[in-house]
Amino acid sequence: MRTRATLTGIFASVSVLVIGWQFGAAAISTATSASQGTSTTGASSGAAPAATPTAGASAGATTATTAAAGPKDGSYTGTSENTPFGNVQVKVVVAGGKITSVVALQLTDNGGRSVQISNYAAPILRSEVIKAQSAKVSNVSGATYTTDGYLSSAQSALDQAGF
Amino acid sequence: MRHVFFTMGTAVSVELPGVDSAGRALERVEEIFAEADHRFSLYRADSELSRVASGSLALMASSPELRRSYAEALLWRNETGGAFTPHRPDGIIDLNGIVKAETIERAASVLDDAGFVDWSINAGGDILCRGSQSPGQPWTLGIADPADRLALLCSVTLVGDRRAIATSGSAERGDHIWRKGSLEPTEFVQATVVASSIVTADVLATAIVSGGGTSLDQFTARWSIDALTVDRAGNLRATPGFRSALATPRVSPLLA
Repeated sequence: MRTRATLTGIFASVSVLVIGWQFGAAAISTATSASQGTSTTGASSGAAPAATPTAGASAGATTATTAAAGPKDGSYTGTSENTPFGNVQVKVVVAGGKITSVVALQLTDNGGRSVQISNYAAPILRSEVIKAQSAKVSNVSGATYTTDGYLSSAQSALDQAGF
Repeated sequence: MRHVFFTMGTAVSVELPGVDSAGRALERVEEIFAEADHRFSLYRADSELSRVASGSLALMASSPELRRSYAEALLWRNETGGAFTPHRPDGIIDLNGIVKAETIERAASVLDDAGFVDWSINAGGDILCRGSQSPGQPWTLGIADPADRLALLCSVTLVGDRRAIATSGSAERGDHIWRKGSLEPTEFVQATVVASSIVTADVLATAIVSGGGTSLDQFTARWSIDALTVDRAGNLRATPGFRSALATPRVSPLLA
């Protein structure tokens, strides 16, 4: 029974992700090509990492004068699309003319029930995580398995400093 | 105070903020790690697990502790679809992938029972903590950059029941990461998992490196975990919860 439940769960997860990518791709083209009206700028979206307000604006202006080569930096939330499986909605983040993050806001499973893919691991920019570096850390998590590895690690430095 | 000792082929750091002397508790913590090392190390020819590996001790005749860890490892093998396994390609039973985390849990009980409310235990990069780092400051932990062991990729704060963080990688020895018959390099060079249990975090971090993006998506959907992965090109993926756990500087650069 447990195995069956497990397999069902895994199958459902995989199905949802596959559907998510398919519809995600469709929604991205909708959002980027048509509806600038649904976009928010990097400045107003707290979650939009790489698009600093000024950089996003100037990059967008440049793009506009050179025949709209690529999408403006920012966070784009697509409209909620009605599909045979139910409603599907995604958000994409564009930085430097590239999609850096795709987040499924609303998906459905095979039975048409609404599913929140709230825990999907999406691409994230190094610049977004690196801003946190100056926080004072007490320990370091790392794949350090050997004593030799430890001795030349950041954790060793913290230990010697008494953190 | 901070206490560092070497065991299981790595270093263990115990931090007790605001404490000057821990007395007997730290001795007991060291004993617990030493006991596990003597029982489970495959680098010691006389360990119980080495004797099982060599055939001089039948698994059925092994200690309840060994069989319990083996059973737990088999459970995780089944739960992860084989991405985590205690079976080396040569057939040897290796419990290195789970014993360290189980030992951290036992050591944590000692600190809890001794009445410490704020503590962290870091064993070879796998960390379990409780309480806070300093008054009003949650535990803030760095994640090593797989490309530069002295650099941090980022730092995260652990709050609520998310008390455990573990990182696995193929960059260093990575000796408990085996892949089912594949000779292809792993998709991820490093995976970090945040969870409420250190065993869950450690096992799933290993299984994500072993199983790649498919396992990452399955596990984040199934378990209440957060994850950060680094692929071969250096690109990162993170769950929303991991993003929000990213530690921010105490003084905003905008105000400085």
